[in-house]
Amino acid sequence: MDFETTLKMRIYGLTVENAQVPSLDRLSSDLGRSRQEIEAECASLGAKRLLVLDNVSGEIRMAPPFSGVSTPHKVTVGDKTYSANCIWDAFGVAAALGADAEITTGCADCGEAMSFQVRNGSPVPAPCAIHYAVPAAHWWDDIVFT
Amino acid sequence: MLGFRSEAHVDAWCEKRELPRRPIVNLEQQWHLAKTWYENRLTVELRRPGPEEMVEIFSSIGLEGPFWNPQSDEF
Repeated sequence: MDFETTLKMRIYGLTVENAQVPSLDRLSSDLGRSRQEIEAECASLGAKRLLVLDNVSGEIRMAPPFSGVSTPHKVTVGDKTYSANCIWDAFGVAAALGADAEITTGCADCGEAMSFQVRNGSPVPAPCAIHYAVPAAHWWDDIVFT
Repeated sequence: MLGFRSEAHVDAWCEKRELPRRPIVNLEQQWHLAKTWYENRLTVELRRPGPEEMVEIFSSIGLEGPFWNPQSDEF
């Protein structure tokens, strides 16, 4: 397995295990590589749009569908609760884990709580409207706001 | 993309911000997108769909036109 694949697998493995995206120092320690090597490989994954790095710290801001920071989009699977980057990614966490899930978020207009369930590979029908304000060609102009 | 309790809430949100209302996706469509993007994300085969694939994926669930084309320059 090449190093890029090893790194991706470790990022996601640690994220799933700990319900938290790992720090670059943790990856460096786990993989026996220097911090600089990890930073360079993460930057390469960022260029491929497989990760989003924090502009200031360089840490992993998004390992889609997981968020490196706490968000209002929570996904509970078993005894673990993950933060997702957006409502798309909240369902993406359930899809990636292939598990029943409880999803909670808030209405972007009024803030009222919204909840969804995924059962046996499908979402349980629930009222909602998911609005795409930004055209696909511009999603990566500011991936935090799409 | 943002989640709303109803289309009325989408309209209210757009009006408050003086933004145009753009496409709304339902739960089934969103689930299809989530699965397509992420169900292999924890495997060594993980990859993102390319631009042409994205157009096909969107089209397969009724999301068509330049808004859904990542290579479009119409917006």
